[in-house]
Amino acid sequence: MVTADVLKPEPRAVRPARSRGPRTSTGYRVFQVVNAILLTGLVVVTLYPFINILARSFSDEHSITAGQVNLIPHGFNLVTYKRVMTDSMFWTNYRNTLVYTVIATAISMVLTTSYAYVLSKKHLKGRGFLIGVAVFTMFFSGGIIPNYVLINGLHMRNTIWAIVLPNAISVFNLLVMKAFFESLPNELEEAASVDGMDTYRILLRIVLPLSKAVIATMILFYAVSFWNSWFSAFLYMDRLDLFPVTVYLRNLIAAGTGGTNESAASDVALQIAANIQAVTIILTVLPIMCVYPFIQRYFVSGVMLGAVKG
Amino acid sequence: MQQVSRRQLLAVAGAAAGAATLGLAGCGSDDKGSSGGQDYSKNKEGAMEKYGVGDQFKATKALTFPIMMLSNPAYPYNKDWLFFQELTKRTNVTFDATVIPYADYNQKRGVMVSAGNAPFIIPKTYHPDEEAFIASGAILPVSDYIDLMPNFKDQVEKWNLAGDLDQLREDDGKFYLLPGLHEDVWLDYSLMVRTDILKALNLEVPKTWDDVYTMLKAMKAAHPDIYPLSDRWSTPPNPGANNLIAMVGAAYGPMSGWDYQATSWDASAGKFVLTGAMDQYKQVIEYLNKLVNEKLIDPQSFTQTDDQARQKFATGKSFVMSCNAQTLVNEARLDLAKIAGATVVKIPRPIGPLGDVKRGTRTEAGMMISAKARDSKNFVAMMQFIDWLWYSPEGKLFAKWGVQGTTYTGSIDDGSFKLSPDVKWAGLNPTAAKSLQVDYGFFNGVFVYGGSTKLLNTQFPPEEVEFQNVMAARKTLPLDPPHPLNADEREQATLWDQAIHDYVNQQTLKFILGQRPLSEWDKYVTELKGKNADQYLDTVNKAYERYKQQHG
Repeated sequence: MVTADVLKPEPRAVRPARSRGPRTSTGYRVFQVVNAILLTGLVVVTLYPFINILARSFSDEHSITAGQVNLIPHGFNLVTYKRVMTDSMFWTNYRNTLVYTVIATAISMVLTTSYAYVLSKKHLKGRGFLIGVAVFTMFFSGGIIPNYVLINGLHMRNTIWAIVLPNAISVFNLLVMKAFFESLPNELEEAASVDGMDTYRILLRIVLPLSKAVIATMILFYAVSFWNSWFSAFLYMDRLDLFPVTVYLRNLIAAGTGGTNESAASDVALQIAANIQAVTIILTVLPIMCVYPFIQRYFVSGVMLGAVKG
Repeated sequence: MQQVSRRQLLAVAGAAAGAATLGLAGCGSDDKGSSGGQDYSKNKEGAMEKYGVGDQFKATKALTFPIMMLSNPAYPYNKDWLFFQELTKRTNVTFDATVIPYADYNQKRGVMVSAGNAPFIIPKTYHPDEEAFIASGAILPVSDYIDLMPNFKDQVEKWNLAGDLDQLREDDGKFYLLPGLHEDVWLDYSLMVRTDILKALNLEVPKTWDDVYTMLKAMKAAHPDIYPLSDRWSTPPNPGANNLIAMVGAAYGPMSGWDYQATSWDASAGKFVLTGAMDQYKQVIEYLNKLVNEKLIDPQSFTQTDDQARQKFATGKSFVMSCNAQTLVNEARLDLAKIAGATVVKIPRPIGPLGDVKRGTRTEAGMMISAKARDSKNFVAMMQFIDWLWYSPEGKLFAKWGVQGTTYTGSIDDGSFKLSPDVKWAGLNPTAAKSLQVDYGFFNGVFVYGGSTKLLNTQFPPEEVEFQNVMAARKTLPLDPPHPLNADEREQATLWDQAIHDYVNQQTLKFILGQRPLSEWDKYVTELKGKNADQYLDTVNKAYERYKQQHG
């Protein structure tokens, strides 16, 4: 039997002690300093807009338009949070996003994993063709209108299937996963099969438990992309209560920056206050940001180290 | 540029999908060989036998019409709005709404129409967006059906709008868009001026552009460290200070700034000429160049963002700026509250060599009708309904201000109109509990287009009505004669137009800022010809002649 103890990593080989290695040289110290500065800069550049939005969400509207809000809220208040949170459509759309993301990710994972596992078997007949079918869609697609006609013809408009099915397999993710499965040693599966396991149990009991790292990564990729996606919902849904929160948010922001047009002036251009935009942005990105640290711990490297003993 | 290419893409896609649409629709458009006589015998269900001007439309049985419904985030669509309830009560019609968020309305409209899946009524379409869908046969040539629309016909006649409608016609002589109809040209944009400065310098509100020059000069003399005029609305693709250049253009002749049109009608020569090469266009540039040379206008006017211009005005670093009714009240007045004694008004548009005139079209965004609606057994009822809601005075008043006694009181004819005190809209009744748009669904951009000047004026505070009255007294210039291009010409002309427009913009800015001396004007005109300007003019003039021959 293959048991859990084979998965235990071996203690790392002790590095032979050296008096002056590359790690203590002047060049390395310079590199470290430059590296630190560059990375700090990168962190600042990435964090600044986010903190700015955060500060705006707690500020009053007048301070924002006057340009007084930078990193610290000005005219601190929670009124806007209360206002956005009492909008029932926001919560309806929020719930939609959750449902769409969870179901779409689940479907995607099942389909991508099974497809990738099959493709990773070199002895599969017609393997090249199956890979070709998938890769073809990376370069060619039907385009918006044919897709719309298709979804409409399948009667999937205004249903969740229009969102979760068409993009269920991301070819990029599929190829990454296939490569990962290929790197698993054949001997493991052979051993399992000698012990009497069939294909499905091998996949479920042996391969998947060994693939936690890639599965976590894929879940993250899929979940983030479904959480952020708005286009298919916008295209295939005809009712406000079916939209995900991203469409809600997009609509808010676009209204605030709408162009000036003489003929559009009659459609009284009401601006959505900047702080409402900020609050909605924060509330929308918060959950997906919270998922990151939890999944991150699965990004363990070297899981396979020493799994097979010669 | 991006927009154009998207439109072209959609046109191609639309043409491709068109074959499918026609197949599905079962040759809906084939049976109307003779353009005048229409056979409605199969399409009359629910329609009124006798429906004319002044009649309240009411379907003889409950009907539902599919509509594309734009949802504005400022007042998101709500099927329980009083608007819909009251509409059903009055007309026996309910909507089956495809709700589309404001941000990407045009894109979804394009996909749905091209896929042959659009609702019957497709509102909020700006000319010439409908042209992308004509070739595929997906939308109706509505001009064939205006016999069903007595109020529409009545207004076109009463307000003398035939010339305005001609602007919408394609080279087959038909139009495919039912536009919003205005009684008069409505101008909102003008200059705002700090009246406390005028008073201190003992100046009058300027009437002409020469007066504006004199005023700016006096301001500069008193405040030599600032530019008295620093303008906004400089978003590309136009040369910058787009409203200012458009207004000076309107006073001198050429369609310039954000009103820019590649060709202009030369009545004396009886043909179209290139706008960017007109003598009057040069005069516009000369005038603005004079302001730049004498440091009366901030050179950054042509490049800065709106916020920068707004900040300069707010801090007293400029005294004159472009505005409209909204920016005057919602921005400038609030911003200026910090400067003690500062007052600001929107002045009537200064006039120029053309005299006391105004220019503009009296049609605005309107609706397309899906071709497949023609086969519906309720087609006649639908056209009558559209005519009542969008074109009858009663329908317009209802869509705009709601229900008498609930959302408003009084009447617009005797001037006693008043919004109910517990209802707020824009700046009116700001402390009221309910919003006309959010809570009741009236004044919705999908249903409110155009109307009589009296109806329009109900939405303005007294100060704006005064401005509108001055503008209304001005004579409206005739529009250019129609010169619709066919699909092939349009494709080619768009390319030429783009190159010419870019070059005109670029050189206009250089001339105005003095980076290129005006002595090089003739050279510039020659350069313009190098951008296929002659071929372009030829195409337009040919289209004009052709249209005049066939439909004139």
